[in-house]
Amino acid sequence: MARENGGRSWLGAAGSNVWYFFNSLKLTISVLISLAVVSILGTVIEQNKSAGHYAGVLGAKWAKVVMLLHVNNLFHSWWYTALLLALAANIVVCTFERFPPKWKSLLNHKQEKFDPRIIEKFAHNRSVSVSVDAATANARVGRVFKKMGFNVITSNDGGDHFFYAWKGALSRLGSDLTHVSLLLILAGSIIGSYAGYKDYRFINVGDTIEVPNAGFKLRLDNFWIDQYDTGQVKQYNSLVTVIDGGKEALTKQIWVNEPLAYKGIRFYQSDYGMAWDKIDTAYIAPVKRKTGDTGAPVPVKWGTEEKLPGTRYSVKVTGYLSDFAYDEKTNSVGSLTPEPNNPAVRIEIYNAGRLISAPWIFLKYPGIFPAIPADQDVDIAFTNYKPTLYSGLSVNKDPGTNIVWAGAIVMGVGFIFAFFMYHRRVWVHVKETGGRAEVRIGGMINKNTLLFEKELCEIAEYVEKEGKKT
Amino acid sequence: MILSLLFFTFSFVFYVVTTLLYLGHWAFRKKWLGQTATAMAYIAVFSTTMILIMRAAESGHAPFSNLYESMVLFVWATNVGYLVLEYKHRQRVIGVFVMAIESLAMLSAALLPYKFKSVEPLNPALQNKWHWMADILRHVGLEKYAIGWLDFHVFTTFIGYGAFAISFGLGIMYLVKGYFEDRGRRNAFVDIFPDTSMLDELSYRAIAWGFPFLSTGIISGAIWADYAWGTYWSWDPKETWSLITWLIYAAYLHARVTRGWRGKRAAYLAVAGFLAVIFLYWGVSFILPGLHAYA
Repeated sequence: MARENGGRSWLGAAGSNVWYFFNSLKLTISVLISLAVVSILGTVIEQNKSAGHYAGVLGAKWAKVVMLLHVNNLFHSWWYTALLLALAANIVVCTFERFPPKWKSLLNHKQEKFDPRIIEKFAHNRSVSVSVDAATANARVGRVFKKMGFNVITSNDGGDHFFYAWKGALSRLGSDLTHVSLLLILAGSIIGSYAGYKDYRFINVGDTIEVPNAGFKLRLDNFWIDQYDTGQVKQYNSLVTVIDGGKEALTKQIWVNEPLAYKGIRFYQSDYGMAWDKIDTAYIAPVKRKTGDTGAPVPVKWGTEEKLPGTRYSVKVTGYLSDFAYDEKTNSVGSLTPEPNNPAVRIEIYNAGRLISAPWIFLKYPGIFPAIPADQDVDIAFTNYKPTLYSGLSVNKDPGTNIVWAGAIVMGVGFIFAFFMYHRRVWVHVKETGGRAEVRIGGMINKNTLLFEKELCEIAEYVEKEGKKT
Repeated sequence: MILSLLFFTFSFVFYVVTTLLYLGHWAFRKKWLGQTATAMAYIAVFSTTMILIMRAAESGHAPFSNLYESMVLFVWATNVGYLVLEYKHRQRVIGVFVMAIESLAMLSAALLPYKFKSVEPLNPALQNKWHWMADILRHVGLEKYAIGWLDFHVFTTFIGYGAFAISFGLGIMYLVKGYFEDRGRRNAFVDIFPDTSMLDELSYRAIAWGFPFLSTGIISGAIWADYAWGTYWSWDPKETWSLITWLIYAAYLHARVTRGWRGKRAAYLAVAGFLAVIFLYWGVSFILPGLHAYA
């Protein structure tokens, strides 16, 4: 390639040198080994930690090196990406350089006539002398090739008979398909990292969320945990409904390993817990203020009004905090933690349809403040509750994934071609001399020479002994 | 637990005996020793198959779910691969190296702490089944034995590991033989090795099986990860080490067609590749933190 550079601009020459640089198998091996070696670094040094963490583990000096060379996020560093791109450039250039001649000389190659002397030059060759005429020998050669599934072209030139046979030419395409598949996988991962996102949402049972950048909503209808008889967790399940354009589009049960996919966005079961701001049911009981006797508790579902037997009142649960706290400065209430350390419900108390009071009452501190200040006889207690569960869902969009899977399929086909098919080419020359047919057989295989030796042996034996043995 | 453990104990003994028989055949060149060794290798592979079957019967799922089960699968795959190789090429001296690796693998499986061995119900992340397979098996009441991407991932990966173990043995033999040849030295034990070109070719054949299986294993693992975690690749140490192994064997495949790299350097890569497999398999599980709770 260098000699063509004579009259070209420096740009052309540089381009040609770059091309030459990437057209190298030694580069391939170097890049593959370099990637392997630096990847080890990325598993030994914990990824995505703070500078302080590295200083603690490795000492200040090495921590500085780690941060400077982006070893803390090695697999996304510019130089790791550069190595991957070098591999990609290597693949592209090698494919452009090697594929067209390969196509021409190997896949479309049909050699009708050849100099019989080439046969002896092949590393694999056999000569047999059979006491039959040329026509019989030719028929045997034709039959053995047919039996072994070879394609054959034949020709004659006076007393010289030529066979050119081939099989498994697709094997040559295997490496190209594999290389293209790697480019596809790389492209898919790049597209995914730019056009995709990964998000995370908690949804309380019964609630609906707006799906980020999607134009539809998701409602969690239920969440439950399946257990084995031993009590170990078997599976976490969420029943979810997609609401698109105000209508219920789809309901599906998802669990770990069974995501929901809708319009390119996927929802994964990844967490759960008890809601800190909502409960399913509160158990509310009337209390006699004078004696402190607590009546039978009534289950009151979130948001519905229930009558309290033995009193004039009915109650409705409108608020819940798992770890109730009052902030004097802002005169507001909130939950200190998501843990149920101090569960409290806000209830609305009605008398004959009229709201008379809306206090917070506490599970752990019954009667600390009277629920109905105006009533000297009746108080109201919060005795128990049934929590609302929330489900933590990963919300992902990765438009590159399908390209990666396409790459995986191409790779699979490439492997079948490359590793389980072999391209054999066999040249046979038959000539009759002195009543005996001299058959010379030789050829090449692109891999698996041991197999080829056996096949040549089989061909030679067939030509020699057909009719006598088996 | 009892029957699979019984077969494990049997198999362990079988592998040690098989290794000793192959060693005896190598040392004394007695044909009957070689034939007995081969027969024992067949018995060992049968016994290993029984461990897996009993394990499946006892646990109620495909036997590919923890380190111990995967070790047995590895030994099984290596032995099957070796027997195919011996059947095709009749080189019993290779058996010494392969069976020694298998005996060591059985030993290390036997030494695993109890928590890596016990039959456990599958945790949520490991429950990945192909619906179509469960639907078919439901008709015969064997639904629980349906496999999924995860089992497929483990199975293909360990076939790959088995092939790499064989190529490792062959690579070592190549380097030993090459060492003696380079110095013009002769040694009765080394002379019986197949010649270097055959060792090189057989090592390549083993890797030519292992590499597509490892790749299929990585890809099916990625598919499973995509189902379970929502990303097909997260640079977790196990994933990264599988990539490292893949890169080494990819380098090997290119080395074999590159002048100056075939032969000895390729053999070094075959050896390095299997060392990476061992680290991927054991080192990562015990030393580096990550998502793979088991092998």
